[in-house]
Amino acid sequence: MSMAQSHVQQTGSRHRPMSRKRRRTAWFYGFITPWLLGFIFLWIIPLSVGFLTSLTDYDGLNLATVKFLGLSNYMRVLTADADALFSFGQTLKWTVLNLPTWMTLGFILALILNQDVKGLGFFRTAYYLPSVVPLVALIWIWKIVLDRNAGLVNAMLNLIRPGTAINWLAVYALQGLTVIAVWSGLGWAMVVFLAGLQGISDELLEAARIDGANTLQIFGYITIPLMTPVIFFVLVNGLIGSFQQFMVPQLLASIGGGAAAGFTQVPPRSVYLSMVHINRQIFNFQRFGYGISLLWLLFIIVAALTVVVFKTSRFWVYTDAKEK
Amino acid sequence: MATQTIALRKRPASPRKVVRLTFSYGLLILVTLLISVPIIWLLVTSIKTDVEYNVWPIQFLPKVAQWKNYAEVFAAKHHIFRYARNSLFLAMTFTLLTIITSSLGGFAFSRFQDVPGRNKLFSIVIALLIIPGLVTVIPQFIIFSRLGLTNTYWPWILWGLGASAYYIFMFRQFFLSFPKELEDAAEVDGCNPFRIYLQIFLPNAKPVLATAFIQGFSGVWGDWYLPVIYLSSKNTTLAIKIATGYINPQGHIYVTITLAACVVYILPLILMFFLGQKHILRGMVTSGIKG
Repeated sequence: MSMAQSHVQQTGSRHRPMSRKRRRTAWFYGFITPWLLGFIFLWIIPLSVGFLTSLTDYDGLNLATVKFLGLSNYMRVLTADADALFSFGQTLKWTVLNLPTWMTLGFILALILNQDVKGLGFFRTAYYLPSVVPLVALIWIWKIVLDRNAGLVNAMLNLIRPGTAINWLAVYALQGLTVIAVWSGLGWAMVVFLAGLQGISDELLEAARIDGANTLQIFGYITIPLMTPVIFFVLVNGLIGSFQQFMVPQLLASIGGGAAAGFTQVPPRSVYLSMVHINRQIFNFQRFGYGISLLWLLFIIVAALTVVVFKTSRFWVYTDAKEK
Repeated sequence: MATQTIALRKRPASPRKVVRLTFSYGLLILVTLLISVPIIWLLVTSIKTDVEYNVWPIQFLPKVAQWKNYAEVFAAKHHIFRYARNSLFLAMTFTLLTIITSSLGGFAFSRFQDVPGRNKLFSIVIALLIIPGLVTVIPQFIIFSRLGLTNTYWPWILWGLGASAYYIFMFRQFFLSFPKELEDAAEVDGCNPFRIYLQIFLPNAKPVLATAFIQGFSGVWGDWYLPVIYLSSKNTTLAIKIATGYINPQGHIYVTITLAACVVYILPLILMFFLGQKHILRGMVTSGIKG
């Protein structure tokens, strides 16, 4: 950037617009340099390195003995790794269980909070609080709630039926995982839905009421259609998040053991999700090449599902609403 | 944002309204209880003895509240301050760096819309928002470990320096609402864009700064995965200490002391949430839905 140009005055010359633009361009690229470098070194290069690694048998240590395997890692997923397919099936089950539960309850909470009563701020804070609890604490909390011997749930059941000792986290692992994830994620969904509900204009609802629509009709014909963009946003986020779930089952399996800092413990079969399997391949068995090929396949599936959701959105997402 | 204040309409208190209000508050309170039971159970269990925790059938409340569990959390032999200091360092370093680099990016993308190449680059930012992080974590780990950066705090510094699409987008959304005249006036006065960013935009961006800080800090403070794969027991974070538990020399875990440590571990985040909740709840929504 030339310093001389910065002193050009209003009456200066017809070059001014041009030079101003160049100056602005230089500033713009200066400002985004950190991000650009980050994009190159933290995205482009890792993605390339990752793809190359997936074509090898890299073990995380020896570069000298690395063998090029072509696409055989990818083939192995489909032909020789029953656990990979099993874990993907469990991931699908978990997503199907988690997404509707989480979204419905989040929506209901938002509806509850969208009433015309005092003290809503307090309740909103209370409902959001679980979302503030960090992962490790979340796992401890639910461990002592669902534990077979010392857990709160069994303790309550014992009041009704003495001798109850259900090992919730083993027998009902998938449902337990859903309860934990929903409890933790409810606040976020609620806040987003609530913002959407508050964006629906009062006049519209009032007009419908004057026209004689009852509460159920208003909900079905006005609230839900107007909320579809928000539902869509929450759905996409939830979908991407669900497929990446692994920390809750992994930590539930290993927390409190001396070796909580790793992947040596195996979660129960029903919550043996794709990312659990992948992380075990990489960090437990040092199969970096194979693990990354699994990652890529999972990513392709998530991306494809996201595209499908985007494509179908034009059939059910209401877009005629005014901007903002 | 179309968050409207709902005017409180005055209506005569009909019996029907009383019923409706009772129902509303009943529901609100019931849900509050349901949601907070696990947290209350954590608090109660954290002041039991381990014997009381393990006894069958279960004892709901401790005979004597064991406040000394909390003293034990801080006992020198458990080194909690060392782990907390590591967590604090990582969280602060990453968050402050990413706020600097991302706000610069957000400023550029919101106020330099006419610059060639800007639109293409911005669509990359948007794409990065949707791409799940899972595809880069492991390859980054491979690179960092080949560079000898595992077992150091450098990855967090580099992640901070590299800005983040999420926070860039958040700052960009916020800066879009600033009037153009503000900038023009400053430019006529001879301010260069960097001074405009530093002296006009940043000081007026407190809500989004608070949101970014709280989210970034909570993210690193609460993270379990990255410390597990990058760090060792010598330099790891509080999250890992809590996950491992408070353990005696024989390898036996003190459950209720660990739970007390859990409460201590959550506390800074709760505190931050209360201080900034007005901003976070709003920031989260605007950064997500708008645009």
